[in-house]
Amino acid sequence: MHWFRFAVLVLVVTVLQAGLADIVAVTNLNVKPDLLLILLVFFAIYCNTFEAIITSFVIGFAADIILAGSPMGPRIISFGLFGTVLAYLNSVVTIKKMPYQALAIFITAFLTDALAHLLVSFRGQPAPFSVYTVIFGTSFYSSLAGPFLFLPCAWWMRIKVERPR
Amino acid sequence: MARKRIKVSNRMLLTWFILSGLIFLIAPQNLTSRFQFAFANIFRWPLGIGRNISLSARTQQQLADVVSRREYDKLQNHLANVTEELLEKHKKLDRVSGLRNRMSEFEGVEFMLAEIITASIDDAHGELIINRGRDDGLAEGQFVLGDNSVIGTISDASPRTARVRLFTDPASKTEVKIRELKTMIQGLGRDSSKVQLLSIKHKVEVGDDVYARKKPGFLDAPMKIGTITRCKTDEGNPLLWDITVKPACDVEKLNDVAVIIMNPAPRSGGVDPKN
Repeated sequence: MHWFRFAVLVLVVTVLQAGLADIVAVTNLNVKPDLLLILLVFFAIYCNTFEAIITSFVIGFAADIILAGSPMGPRIISFGLFGTVLAYLNSVVTIKKMPYQALAIFITAFLTDALAHLLVSFRGQPAPFSVYTVIFGTSFYSSLAGPFLFLPCAWWMRIKVERPR
Repeated sequence: MARKRIKVSNRMLLTWFILSGLIFLIAPQNLTSRFQFAFANIFRWPLGIGRNISLSARTQQQLADVVSRREYDKLQNHLANVTEELLEKHKKLDRVSGLRNRMSEFEGVEFMLAEIITASIDDAHGELIINRGRDDGLAEGQFVLGDNSVIGTISDASPRTARVRLFTDPASKTEVKIRELKTMIQGLGRDSSKVQLLSIKHKVEVGDDVYARKKPGFLDAPMKIGTITRCKTDEGNPLLWDITVKPACDVEKLNDVAVIIMNPAPRSGGVDPKN
């Protein structure tokens, strides 16, 4: 695992998510892909469990840091937890085909967002009125875009991605 | 001598990280928000460029021989504010006054211009981070203007950046005035807020302007905050209105804002309203 490359990649994706993701947002609910979550699933699939745990929590920290006004901690916990679960699952059932990767992104996004909103509500912050629509939309959008973004991530991290036919 | 390699099991690693996440979760937000401020401060240049690109992608072509919608709204807000100030002045003339009046000449008031670094506007949040902070005289509770209308207040400030809570943020409650009624609005997220607990015996209509009430030390005169876009009987309680207020300006299109600083300490920077 090239940790310096990982750090650069997370920084770049964090800035992109905070600054540019709005360009590709759709509908009046501002649904956009969660690039950090796509990164989480990538490392959970293509790294060993130990590395996947570390990367999941670091990416969760980055996800919390870009949300101005939101308390920190919910995404550290939700990303870390579900990234770890996905990494263990990948050691049992390999997720190499694109449709399976898309499904993994969708389920992980849904669960992490739902848990994050639940943890935020424990801090007394009100939930948005269309929270489940936004969660579903973000998960779906991320699952469509995610598998295609794995290739540039793998190139940067020098990880061999073999897609079975 | 070979260095002893410390082995950490996956379970222990996971436990440590979960504990650190919980520590962040229960820590006071004014401590954890320093990380968010630091990120916004360090990366303000690429974030600013990204925001400009996002805004450009959404801006439509403007006709050369007409004023843009945004300019029209800006002028309309200014007219509403000036009209309201005039009414306030007339009321004050009716009272016995020996006090100095600091109103429309903006004596003793400074407008601190600030650029928006990041904006977080969705159903759950309505917040901006701007590139001015405590070092520039900003403090919690100060009103923030966009296109000559109130958009929110300063909720937190670091030495060089500050967080603006928009009045449409679900956690925001703002004292307002509709016609002669004094009431309160609470944010609904994105671009609307709701008037709370207003009896139907009060006359209110769609199109009525909503003003942020004056607040000693923060706002000397009412300023326009939005317009009523929906007004009907509350389905849950027929004795109350269900009123929705839309902001007077499109915050997502703003590049910069102005913070009202009453009685600023002498320092360089900001805008002198006399010039």
